[in-house]
Amino acid sequence: MNATLEPTAAIRSGDVEFVTFYVGNLLLGAEICHVEEINRHVDVTPVAFAPDWVLGVVNLRGEVVTVLDLRYVLGLGHTATDANARNVIVNAGGERIGLLVDRIADVVNTSWSEIKTPPANLTDVDRRFLQGVYDLDRELLVVLNIEEVLAGN
Amino acid sequence: MDEREIVDEFVAESCDHLANIESQLLAIEANGATIDVELVNTVFRAVHSIKGTAGFLQLNTIQDLSHEMETVLNLIRNRELVPNSGITDVLLRAADTLRSLVENVDHSSEVDVSHHVAELQAIAAGQLPAAPAAPTTTQPEQTLDLVQTFVDEAASEPAPAPEQTQAQATSEPANDTADRSSVVVKTTGHTPAVEANIRVSVRVLDHLMNLAGELVLSRNQLLQTVGTKNSGNLDSISARLNQVTSEIQEAVMQTRLQVVETVFSKFPRVVRDLCNTLGKQCDLVVEGEDVELDKSIIEAIGDPLTHLIRNAVDHGLESPEERIASGKSPKGKILLKAFHQAGKVHMVVRDDGAGIDVAKLKQKAIANGIITAEQAHEMGERESLRLIFRPGFSTANELTNISGRGVGMDVVRTNIERLGGTVDVDSHVGQGTAVNLTLPLTLAIIPSLIVRCGSGRFAIPQASISELVRVRAAERAEKLQRVNGAEVLRLRGNLLPLVRLSSALSLKMAILSGAVDQPETTTNTNIIVVESGHLRYGLIVDALHDSEEIVVKPMGKNMKDCRCFAGATILGDGQVALILDVAGLATQASLSIHEDKERSESADAAAATADDSQAMLLFTNAPTEQFAVPMGLISRLERIRADQIDAVGGQEVLQYRGASLTLMSLENHLRALPRPEQQRLYVIVFRVGTREIGLIVPQLTDIRSVSTDIDTSTFREPGVTGSVVIDGRVTRLLDLLELTRSAHAEWFYETSLSASHEATTPMSPHLGSSDEPSKQKTILLAEDSSFFRKQLTGFLEADGYRVLACEDGQVAWDVLCHPGKPCDLIVTDLEMPNLDGFGLTERVRKTPSICHLPIIAVTSLASDEDVEHGRRVGVDEYHVKLDRERLMASVAARLRLAAQEAEADAETTGRTT
Repeated sequence: MNATLEPTAAIRSGDVEFVTFYVGNLLLGAEICHVEEINRHVDVTPVAFAPDWVLGVVNLRGEVVTVLDLRYVLGLGHTATDANARNVIVNAGGERIGLLVDRIADVVNTSWSEIKTPPANLTDVDRRFLQGVYDLDRELLVVLNIEEVLAGN
Repeated sequence: MDEREIVDEFVAESCDHLANIESQLLAIEANGATIDVELVNTVFRAVHSIKGTAGFLQLNTIQDLSHEMETVLNLIRNRELVPNSGITDVLLRAADTLRSLVENVDHSSEVDVSHHVAELQAIAAGQLPAAPAAPTTTQPEQTLDLVQTFVDEAASEPAPAPEQTQAQATSEPANDTADRSSVVVKTTGHTPAVEANIRVSVRVLDHLMNLAGELVLSRNQLLQTVGTKNSGNLDSISARLNQVTSEIQEAVMQTRLQVVETVFSKFPRVVRDLCNTLGKQCDLVVEGEDVELDKSIIEAIGDPLTHLIRNAVDHGLESPEERIASGKSPKGKILLKAFHQAGKVHMVVRDDGAGIDVAKLKQKAIANGIITAEQAHEMGERESLRLIFRPGFSTANELTNISGRGVGMDVVRTNIERLGGTVDVDSHVGQGTAVNLTLPLTLAIIPSLIVRCGSGRFAIPQASISELVRVRAAERAEKLQRVNGAEVLRLRGNLLPLVRLSSALSLKMAILSGAVDQPETTTNTNIIVVESGHLRYGLIVDALHDSEEIVVKPMGKNMKDCRCFAGATILGDGQVALILDVAGLATQASLSIHEDKERSESADAAAATADDSQAMLLFTNAPTEQFAVPMGLISRLERIRADQIDAVGGQEVLQYRGASLTLMSLENHLRALPRPEQQRLYVIVFRVGTREIGLIVPQLTDIRSVSTDIDTSTFREPGVTGSVVIDGRVTRLLDLLELTRSAHAEWFYETSLSASHEATTPMSPHLGSSDEPSKQKTILLAEDSSFFRKQLTGFLEADGYRVLACEDGQVAWDVLCHPGKPCDLIVTDLEMPNLDGFGLTERVRKTPSICHLPIIAVTSLASDEDVEHGRRVGVDEYHVKLDRERLMASVAARLRLAAQEAEADAETTGRTT
């Protein structure tokens, strides 16, 4: 889709940092190099006739930024925004796009070698959005393939 | 500086050198034997420096070509060679190729320029090409390609680089196909470096720098103020920031402005080449080259303008023989002009050619199935001319390679409208055609109206708004109606399709934003009448906010399918507002053109039965009784104190401006309840003859456009024409003249006598000789409102005329064409279905047997524009409907005048025979 995003996990190596956040009960991670900022701009202006997974647009310091409903993209229904909701701004091919998430978690440091292929029984989410999983002992971090997520449906 | 940078520098520099070479060569050609050495030198130096640098960079092809050009130019400079059109042709083509080589510098060495070199060498050797031979043999194919390129690009791409198209197409030698394809392929591979740069004057940059400094100062002040919590001077800081920001905005826009000369400069060549091909003669006069426009617009108008210019030469101008035959100079003239007006840039392409034959145009449109014969019949001249902008329309009798193929003006229109501009055409048979373009100065900032719908706010560009209409809750039933389930607005006798923004933007929107489609029983309805091309509809919104200058921001690629929106903008409070695309919204609301047409037909049908409306002043005498007076009859309103009224001999008068104004109270002359005692009163002042009379009015209610569907029987009495229900109140409509007549019969003895004397004219000494003295004058009345028709018929008949009353212009026209019904004068309404007053007048003036008839227009409210339009088509006089006295006076005067003329005519014919 675009040149700035890097190839998928299979051929990646070295250390990596993930910004992690919750969408529903799922703990998801996005590689930190894709994430520009996290903000509270969740008061989006809806756009009629936009695709279902588009929540609307927000004003990000003078730039009109599209906000996607990450939960809907993953096929888990619509997000109901509350005080914990955050807008994760990622940069994709020169265009900034916001991903609406339920709640922000930590930044996780690990290396690509620790990332496993998603288990076969992880069926809630369309597998093409997943790059792999990382075991955090208590929880499973699902690493998103941002490229696919931004491509929408 | 590495090699690449040097090459780029060379390209930019050479493009500068070549920028004006075309016009300079044309000027050299025009000078002929009187050689302007300085001018030739300029071209020579340009080519010479290209040659020099190209040699240094080992760009051999460029060097070779420029060397040969230089040789020929040198001969001209030394007056050893007199430039003719053949030589200029060769030089021009060589310059084109040179430019294309420079723009594709990386591949320049692969291009074969031997034929140019050979031609140039032949000239240098003294073998002069025959003047017109060269262009005519090679150009047909070239232009064909050019047109194809133009059409393709115009259809697919909004803003191709104009020079590129031109250079690309014309530089291809017609006999070398291999070379041609190679050039084209390479052009697409590498965009010329000049595209990305823009020249900005140091003055503008200095100004910007200065402003940036101001901005920093303001910021520091602001930070300081916020830091010390001293909010006292916040006002002055914000004012300063405001000013600096506006100035920066303006200065930045200035950096993007370019003179239109960059586009205009290529047209002399276009016209010259076309004239050669078509065997026509033409001068192109260019005015206003120094008008500045935003770079993006400059780039986008190249193609539409080229098309218009080609059209003017190809279709507009006649051949020299035809021109001589019609008494014109064999050399045609095309004017290309740009100028600023009202914050916009206007461009005009005007030719003095044959003009557009409206009748032919209509035939063609009918033949192409664009309109029906019926529609054609109804169309006014202006509307008919606009047919050329319809898709699938070509005016040339046979398709030509130059500008035919049925793709043309509609593409021009689409391109111009995409830029937020408009196109219009004006043409007179035998005199020529003018196409007028209106363009915004910039695309980045557009004035818009902010509206609210649900909880969302939207921006509508002012350019697409034609008017705002507010329908009061009480009028809703009357004005908003349903035709086959579709909502329509009754607007001045026409039905306008309506789109509810909330429903057009679908339920999803409503759910998300919490908007609820209220039944709207108590609030007013705000309707924005919008226009896009030939689409016109009303948009219902919840509320209107401010008019703002908004900065257009692009929307993300996820939203590329949202045709309802042209982009987004950020409002003062930081919220995002979407910019509505009027045409896209219409598509979304499935308001197709087809439907539009259907509705306008039903609108016509409805309008035929509907009565048009009249602006009325509403007032009460006793608080329970409401009256109405046509606004057109009122001279002015005065506010007075009750103690200013004197009763003299049972007659109320007002001492006023040194004279006394006769006053009337309604209750003294009508069956009306007396007015309440109050300190302050209003007086409606109106004129009867030379007298001013005042009507005492205790309470003004409103000024309203009142439907003239009037009950003329129930309350009829002298002074009251009838009654109408407004906001649930029975309102009596006053006839001021009749009221005055019944109150002061003595004043009228004189005037009514003289009026009837003039009107019927049986005893008139002037007419005694020319006509049967007893012949009654016949007046044709065209008026679609049955109320006014009855009223006017009454007025006219009362003064002794015979009246032929017709319910619209078409019926009136049929009557006029009927030989058995001659008439002496026409009184016509302006806004009528089927054929309006302008159309009727136009037809009458064009028909020799009746063109002399006096025409008096009656209208509810005449705008200056209407009056001007009317005068142009041949209306003699204007009167406000129901201004009985003036209308009757002018009918009489016009009839007398016509009779005198007829008499004079009869006399002269009598003498000559």
